[in-house]
Amino acid sequence: MSPDPFTCWHPIASTPDLPERHVFHGQLLGRELAVWRADDGFVNVWENRCLHRGVRLSIGINDGRELKCQYHGWRYSNRTAGCTYIPAHPADAPARTICNRTFPAVERYGLIWSGEDPTGDPPAVAVLDRGTPFGLRNLPVNAPPELVLERLAQYRFEPNGRLHYDDGEDVSVSVCHRDDWSVTLASSQGGSTTTAVFFVQPVDSGRAVIRGVLDETPGEDRRLIVLHHHNTGLIQLRDDIEAEAARLPTPEPMVASIDRVSVELAEIPEAPAGRQASLRVRVARKWEAADQIAGFELESIGAELPTYQPGSHIDVHLPNGLIRQYSLTNEPGRGETYRIGVKLEPDSRGGSRCLHEVVREGDVLAISEPRNNFPLRRDSLCTVLVAGGIGITPLLAMAQTLQKDGLGYELHYFAQSEQHMAFGDVLERLRPSLVAHLGLSPDETARALAEILAHRGDASHVYTCGPAPMLETTRRIAAEAGWPDHTVHFEYFKNTTEIDDSSSFQISLSRSALTLGVAGGQTILAVLRQNGVPMPSSCEQGACGTCEVAVLEGEPDHQDVYLNDSEKERGDRIMTCVSRAKSDRLVLDI
Amino acid sequence: MIKLYDYVLSVNCYKQRLMMSILDVSYQSIPVDFYPGWEHKSKEFKKINPLGHIPVIDDDGYVLRDAHAILVYLAAKYDPTGRWYPVSDSELIGETAQWMLFAEGTTNTASAARLHVNLGYDFDIGACRESAHRLFRVLDDHLWFREQQGRNWVCSGEHPTVADIAIFPDVILSEEGGISRLDYPALRRWTDRVKRIGGFTTMPGIFPAGPARRGRSGNAGPIPD
Repeated sequence: MSPDPFTCWHPIASTPDLPERHVFHGQLLGRELAVWRADDGFVNVWENRCLHRGVRLSIGINDGRELKCQYHGWRYSNRTAGCTYIPAHPADAPARTICNRTFPAVERYGLIWSGEDPTGDPPAVAVLDRGTPFGLRNLPVNAPPELVLERLAQYRFEPNGRLHYDDGEDVSVSVCHRDDWSVTLASSQGGSTTTAVFFVQPVDSGRAVIRGVLDETPGEDRRLIVLHHHNTGLIQLRDDIEAEAARLPTPEPMVASIDRVSVELAEIPEAPAGRQASLRVRVARKWEAADQIAGFELESIGAELPTYQPGSHIDVHLPNGLIRQYSLTNEPGRGETYRIGVKLEPDSRGGSRCLHEVVREGDVLAISEPRNNFPLRRDSLCTVLVAGGIGITPLLAMAQTLQKDGLGYELHYFAQSEQHMAFGDVLERLRPSLVAHLGLSPDETARALAEILAHRGDASHVYTCGPAPMLETTRRIAAEAGWPDHTVHFEYFKNTTEIDDSSSFQISLSRSALTLGVAGGQTILAVLRQNGVPMPSSCEQGACGTCEVAVLEGEPDHQDVYLNDSEKERGDRIMTCVSRAKSDRLVLDI
Repeated sequence: MIKLYDYVLSVNCYKQRLMMSILDVSYQSIPVDFYPGWEHKSKEFKKINPLGHIPVIDDDGYVLRDAHAILVYLAAKYDPTGRWYPVSDSELIGETAQWMLFAEGTTNTASAARLHVNLGYDFDIGACRESAHRLFRVLDDHLWFREQQGRNWVCSGEHPTVADIAIFPDVILSEEGGISRLDYPALRRWTDRVKRIGGFTTMPGIFPAGPARRGRSGNAGPIPD
């Protein structure tokens, strides 16, 4: 066959092969594929192996949003195939580089089309475009695809309308069209004609699948008769072809090139990137998600949006030059968009005001790839989520994920009033686990929190997000109630502590063999960048954890709100955007 | 209580555990050192089953051998609804018997290949695999047309029967015997459906299915009780 089969589109499955919550096992040109349809209708065509230990994903679990490997439970997101969760590292967000290989998918004529590296569009067949395509039962054949195609040209069948009625009348079958991967046959009898297009899927050098589509759907009463007619005829043809192939020398099986997964892949943090806005998104929808809260649905321009996990946030680069962080509220694997909620801050320095007043539907925004410094464990039978005001946003993604996974949770939502509760459509779905605490004073809030946190099961974790005073109260009450630090997870919107940047000290970079001075008024982060050391960062106020660095020696002067008290006491990590040194010198692991 | 002479890696013993789990029948498992001890071939065990096979059940003194016979007994006795072994429907019971015999075929080919690979049994592995593929082709064809008729199971009724329980384990463990199910998509979908039967239980090598989408039925959907 003349054109390179690796650049062609081929059918790899038919639409009925992909019922909900099923994983289809396919193969094309020697490469095995795991094919599954998510609840949003998207068809995923992936390399059939888990990146962890190479186990086939075709035996995995399709839960509608993620595909879970049966071996060690790694989960991969619908659409991107990015890893969303590693049970052996429940407290960590998997690096974005852990992403399975995907192949394109197009549904046409009731078939799923894909390819190694296909160019253009899947073939358009005029006779099927004009008609009402009707898929036959697909038939795997143990014979070289070329031979199957050749013999298919001799296939004989009767038109739909005449089956079994006019025995004895001559059937005339002619080849209307033939190309590298398909043959089109027309069968006529007594004025009735049916055209059948047979696509041959090259499974391997010695194996193929015949995927037949008729140009017309028979009436309900004739459907099974037509299907049986072709199935019987094609099985006869298959048996003949296989007998012929058995007399030929067996071709060497094709060997698909499978990229090696590097050992470090799962270990290495993302490449330092600074505050880059590498993505462009369009505002697909903007709506009033609650009083003073605007919801934004951001859709990709071009490629799929990168994988994210519950708790992830993005930097939004605003038209006025400001950069703000917003949590993603939708759960991974659901839809192709990012959703954020933006509260109009009365004392806005221009961030929330710009999003509320300037940005409109259809506008293009620059955003960073998602980062996750607030990862959700999925190994707890009961999780307590505590939201204050707009702090609901990351917890919404968490609640939806826990609900989908069948894990218990309570979502406590502290808000001024019902009108201030955001994303009512999502809250409705979470209703049985949602507890609203409305219009409480700070004292009443503290009492409510004390009640919520009074009893805890052994496996429980608390996730809390909201205004700083409420987070302080929650953390204090949790500590008093006996929750260990590592079970209380929090995310501040911003760091409201007064930063003291008067100290001056030295930093030694152990891996770069550099010693640099940090003067009063400078930050470690700025000094690093001035000296050509690339560092990722996001909020640059000690709230998000992106610019964290390990400390090997010296005593940090923590001024962030990202680390918890015991982490601060350990002194082995530092947020380079705000924190400094109490000792004369810090040795950093960069 | 029923005693089941049992071995954890035996497909035929698993068939009984699966049936009893679905029918919510409690039983006592009596481990037989099948491998490497060959206890089922011992003099003592041959007093229980002169053929030297497991499984065997002892239901309060009533002793029965042969996996597919035991399934018939369990369903007839412990399924008050009469759906798992539908004796009241002559056509359906005929089909059930037909597919129970088919299950003898899958056991003697697909599961024999697995015994050869895993436990060192001396079978003609090539012949086992070839015959298993021939049976799987027939079953895939059959199940594909069942789906076209809006049916989910091996027999033509709306409810699964002992035939599904007899065939499923041979199919789902076939890859251990080197028999791929890549070419049998309808067969693969049926295994998902069996895994979603209430009371389904696993054994080494068999993984549970994920949850079906709530409020939906269809090919991969749950079955009504």
